[in-house]
Amino acid sequence: MGATRHFGRVAAVALVLAAALAGCGDDGASGPVTLRYSWWGNAERAELMQKAIDLFQSKNPDIKVTPSFQEFEAYWQKMATETAGGNAPDVLQMDFAYLREYADRGALYDLSEQESNLELGDLLEGLEGAGEVDGSRYGVPVGANTWGYVYNPALFAQAGVAAPRVGWSWDDYRAALRQITERTGVHGGGNYIGSYYNLELQLRQEGGLLYTEDGRLGFDRDRLAKFFQEGVDLAEAGSVLPVEKGVQIKPSFALELDLIAGDLGWDNFTARYAAKAKARLELGPVPGGDERASGQYLKPAMMLSLSRRTEHPEAAAELVSFMVNDPEVGKVFGANRGLPPTNAQRAAAQLEGPLAAVAAYEDAEKARFGPTPPAPPKGAGSLEQAFIRIAEELLYERIGVDEAVDQFFTEADETLGS
Amino acid sequence: MTRADTRPPDVVARRASTRGRLPGDGVAGYLFLSPWILGIVVLTLGPMLTSLYLSFTDYDLFGSPRWIGLDNYERMFSDTRWVNSLKVTALYVVLAVPVKLAAALAVAVLLDNRRGGQGFYRAAFYGPSLIGGSVSIAIVWKVVFSDDSVVDRLLRSVGVDTGGWAGNPDFSVPMLVLLAVWQLGAPMVIFLAGLKQVPRDLYEAAEVDGASRWRRFRSITLPMISPVVFFNLVLEVINAFQVFTSAYVVGGPNGQPAGSTLFYTVYLFDRGFGDYRMGYASAMAWMLLLGVGLVTVFLFRTARGWVHYSGDAR
Amino acid sequence: MRRQRVHGVVWHAGVLLLLGIVLYPVAWVVASTFKPSADILGDLRLLPDAATTANYERVFDGVVGIDVARFFLNSTVLAVLSVIGTVASSAPAAYAFARLRFRGRTSLFAVMIATLLLPVHVLIIPQYVVFQRLDLIDTYAPLLVGKFLAAEAFFVFLIVQFIRTLPRELDEAAKIDGAGQWGTFWHVVLPLCRPALITTAIFTFIWSWNDFFGPLIYLSTPDKYPLPLALQLFIDETTGSDFGALMAMSVLALVPVVLFFLFFQRFLVEGVSTSGIKG
Repeated sequence: MGATRHFGRVAAVALVLAAALAGCGDDGASGPVTLRYSWWGNAERAELMQKAIDLFQSKNPDIKVTPSFQEFEAYWQKMATETAGGNAPDVLQMDFAYLREYADRGALYDLSEQESNLELGDLLEGLEGAGEVDGSRYGVPVGANTWGYVYNPALFAQAGVAAPRVGWSWDDYRAALRQITERTGVHGGGNYIGSYYNLELQLRQEGGLLYTEDGRLGFDRDRLAKFFQEGVDLAEAGSVLPVEKGVQIKPSFALELDLIAGDLGWDNFTARYAAKAKARLELGPVPGGDERASGQYLKPAMMLSLSRRTEHPEAAAELVSFMVNDPEVGKVFGANRGLPPTNAQRAAAQLEGPLAAVAAYEDAEKARFGPTPPAPPKGAGSLEQAFIRIAEELLYERIGVDEAVDQFFTEADETLGS
Repeated sequence: MTRADTRPPDVVARRASTRGRLPGDGVAGYLFLSPWILGIVVLTLGPMLTSLYLSFTDYDLFGSPRWIGLDNYERMFSDTRWVNSLKVTALYVVLAVPVKLAAALAVAVLLDNRRGGQGFYRAAFYGPSLIGGSVSIAIVWKVVFSDDSVVDRLLRSVGVDTGGWAGNPDFSVPMLVLLAVWQLGAPMVIFLAGLKQVPRDLYEAAEVDGASRWRRFRSITLPMISPVVFFNLVLEVINAFQVFTSAYVVGGPNGQPAGSTLFYTVYLFDRGFGDYRMGYASAMAWMLLLGVGLVTVFLFRTARGWVHYSGDAR
Repeated sequence: MRRQRVHGVVWHAGVLLLLGIVLYPVAWVVASTFKPSADILGDLRLLPDAATTANYERVFDGVVGIDVARFFLNSTVLAVLSVIGTVASSAPAAYAFARLRFRGRTSLFAVMIATLLLPVHVLIIPQYVVFQRLDLIDTYAPLLVGKFLAAEAFFVFLIVQFIRTLPRELDEAAKIDGAGQWGTFWHVVLPLCRPALITTAIFTFIWSWNDFFGPLIYLSTPDKYPLPLALQLFIDETTGSDFGALMAMSVLALVPVVLFFLFFQRFLVEGVSTSGIKG
């Protein structure tokens, strides 16, 4: 009796152990691979992502994808911490402005080593080089946009101002701002010196660049002073939305609150504006430039990168390739990530309303686009913030133009020089 | 002869005085503290010392820290934004703490009686503290104080046009001070708890002696609740120096408008997580610790003059 | 008699007026949840033009198939465990600092106060690394371990101050009756500092409930997110913010906190009458 019970107990323990060990499974290549995939966005994007992930998993049953997502700012705080702690996800959504921030610090995987798993032949013209840094590829675009001009044609008409047309000059633009404000009571636009993408536009139209190939500023103090002075003059003339107002309506945009007649900005934000604004909005040619070149370029609005420390680069590359190329994915997302980056996805995406307008806009204007510039240098993110901050202090008349220029160049020396 | 008897008398005397009146306090002390000590060593002290080390380095989060000695600290003093953040934070502390504590004490005293509806009123005044720390209320607050909103319209009706507090660099800090004062429920609750512990017979005796309400408040209430006042004071000061969420939501990483809401912790955070300059951010953190530490020590020292602990006879 | 009545009415009226002003923003938030999302930010009136429950419906739709109830459950688990841990570990630590004499007490107390002084943002990366080595990322452990180790100096300090208001005669009486340190602590001191413990519980619950940065850094799997993390999904700058749903969820998130507070704040009243100390 005793012996049987004893044996029974041993057998039970052995069975449990065996079950436990079996449950561990193999960690060899034959087992399923789990990838962690993080992105930024709201709940709506998360739903679309999940659909795309489900599609991927059904076509790749031996790869499991664990998603994680936050809103934009929180995403980067978390990403910085995870990467610093050595725990970055396998696949991460990447922003053009942060690409070098992460690549130059060795946080990203060189995708040129995964060419066999990564299909990049179908990328839109202008996007092929995006994501390359110093000969290595650190990111793949999954969405594209461009800096454009969104406006309310009714207000232009009401003010008797000619609608934006190809080749209209910056002087024309400033005159329009003034006239619309005077004649309709609605401000003609926002003060464009608040964003350095407008400076970039002007520089490109002059044949220059915002950042040079070797990561320095592509303009000098005098040029910046000229730019800032334009904004100060506009503010003094009262042609643009006052800075106090702009500050108080954040995180909303003036255009979506019908406070201005038009503004320069990312073209894919039109969908956002259109959803909220009461006025009917249209996309038009940016001021400056001529029939041959507008100064615009196709920007990778969103990219995918791999973490340097990923344990499954092959599977991760397959996921990225899928997200970029698969037409079903294009259909799922529409223009949620910016416009689809490959021809196949663009064809498959059934865009409607404002987003169709954005696609049409890019198609119409692309003949005038210039080459996509190299990824902004490390520290570009902080410089962009510094620019916004300094322009704001300038418009609040806390500092003069010369001091503003000094401050920016000091920041730039410190950030880019190191 | 026991070992104790062979020790020289002064050692015996010293031993006796360092021990509590009850034997074995040392062991008991450390036993009661053991979870705290474990937590401190593993979770807090380690990271604190790491951050101290990082403050002497150039650390961009992903690479290895590079030793640069006192560079970060030197750079701070010539950093105009750092100086600005000190001014903004100091202004806020000086305004918010006294007003908030005075308001909290006033409401607590108002509610410290036996009239009906106590529970309801207490909970109601506490309401703002429940949501005050959240992002949504910071957004709401900013909207309420913006151009063309309630506060702006009210002020304009009496002839004061600020253009909206949230967009006016002179009014943005007062706006945040009001947000802090609005959350008086937290210290109020603590004051109430302290008020409840004041023996009622002291008040009765004073009333019998003909003392006025104010006199009773000054001579009985205030001294009796002084430990609680002190606690609230220290904690509110420390918290005020570290205010983050509301400032960040209202002002963003730039401290808009025009740097007027660039609080110290916001700037620190922007340097660390925005500019990837964790070494500099760590140096800023230790300067903060030093500064607030000095203020706290000062408060503790002056406490002896006015804080009365009825439980500490000796 | 009538004077007392008038006093009473005036008092109540005054308090209610004050409350009205103080609670206006809260009322506005609640009212906004019944307005269409686009109308919210510009409109400061309390009553909506066209009341709608669409915001709440969107909240209950959940996020990527995760039910709102799940976020509530996560927050509740974290908050309850935090309360238990904090009270259980802070009280003995406070007793040690307030009542026991041992070498190094003043220095350790100073260290404890010092821990209040460093902003979490500079500690987060070394702490993250600690938990990463222990393979505890994406669990609730990093968020709770500190609570069970009295890492919240705020509460230790609070309880210390309360214990110091209690006369030592009580301790001595207990010792004379033969109680050891633990007995004195458990039977005499602890019950008397109930207001401090209740306050600790309430604040811990609220802080845990509203904690955003800790969960952001340590949690990756969306179905582990507590409410604040779920809430921020409604305000993404790049994809468009849904203020209506954000407010609705914030209001819903408030309900448990308010309930918790209402339930426990009664015990603050009972507090410490001077029973036992007379004479």
